[in-house]
Amino acid sequence: MARARTEGGSPILSQQLLLSVAEELKLPLMQIARQAEQGLLSGRPDLETIQTSAQTALSLLDNYALGVRLSLAPEQLLIEPVSISSVLYDAGHQLDALAKNYGVELELNIAGRYGPVLAHRVGLQAALVSLGAALIEALPAQESPQLKLQLATHRSRYGIVAGLYADTKQLSKETLQRGRKLQRYSRQPLVDLSHTSGAGVFVADTILKAMNLRLTASRHHRLYGLGTVLQPNNQLHLV
Amino acid sequence: MADILLIEPDRLLAETYLQALAAAGYSVGACSGAQAAVLVADQTRPDLVVLELQLTTHSGIEFLYEFRSYPDWQDIPVVVHSQVPKSEFQQNWQLLKDELGVKAYLYKPQTTLRQLVATVNEQLPVKA
Repeated sequence: MARARTEGGSPILSQQLLLSVAEELKLPLMQIARQAEQGLLSGRPDLETIQTSAQTALSLLDNYALGVRLSLAPEQLLIEPVSISSVLYDAGHQLDALAKNYGVELELNIAGRYGPVLAHRVGLQAALVSLGAALIEALPAQESPQLKLQLATHRSRYGIVAGLYADTKQLSKETLQRGRKLQRYSRQPLVDLSHTSGAGVFVADTILKAMNLRLTASRHHRLYGLGTVLQPNNQLHLV
Repeated sequence: MADILLIEPDRLLAETYLQALAAAGYSVGACSGAQAAVLVADQTRPDLVVLELQLTTHSGIEFLYEFRSYPDWQDIPVVVHSQVPKSEFQQNWQLLKDELGVKAYLYKPQTTLRQLVATVNEQLPVKA
């Protein structure tokens, strides 16, 4: 998130200005997405890529706005019993078209029974989608691309982990920590992982922080990944 | 052929939605603001209204209050198709649903043309 340097020195003011810019950008992106879809429906299959790209950008802006709003007004955080498997399934559904565009094989690994957790469902899904979109765009640009990304969940000694995993060591704690430090100053803070600003990773980080969760590096079988740890709720389990 | 009143302030989006709904077999009257919408509704007596809440001068909610104040328009289904996320009016959703007859809510940035047409079809199963 950018710091205010010129607008009266208030970080809040700067966030609100960026929020307005994000809202404003949605309009041309909607025009592109809907016109591309209109073309698609009239027999122009080549427009699907454009529609998906515009739709992904719209999601990123929406998720950014959600992160800022939750940070500014934590009282809006509606906590409810959430099924992690269902959130991962919906996130996968949302990321499917983008993964196809980039030739990334998206897998869903939700084997195992996990009880509900207390979380902000919209926020959790938005974080996973932002993170997923950033990784889908990043994977093909890696030197030895292993174009597979897994949306997965597993138990760890800290709780139930939900995240995105790939066969790349760049998805590490060090990359994430360095990225966080560089985020405000560098054009490419996740240089080992992504050729872009990696905004999706930081949007996920912001949303999770606003939800009192953390984006962390973790392993899933032999894969490396980023995700978050959620606490199972025994009372909900009984229900 | 069912008549739809589309209230969409952005000209380019309005054109795209109009084409999609027309291709689905509807007759569509489009306007960009609440006042014009009341006039168009008076002339066409629509079977359904697709409404953006964020309009110039009068909001979509103000339009709804006026629209529902006419006895002839009490039962016309309204689909809110808006850039305003539902989370921002979660507390008023019941009011929109129960008192102002909003039948469905679609978050515009994440709603495809297919989804819009499908929702309209659901609300007008017989006439479509």
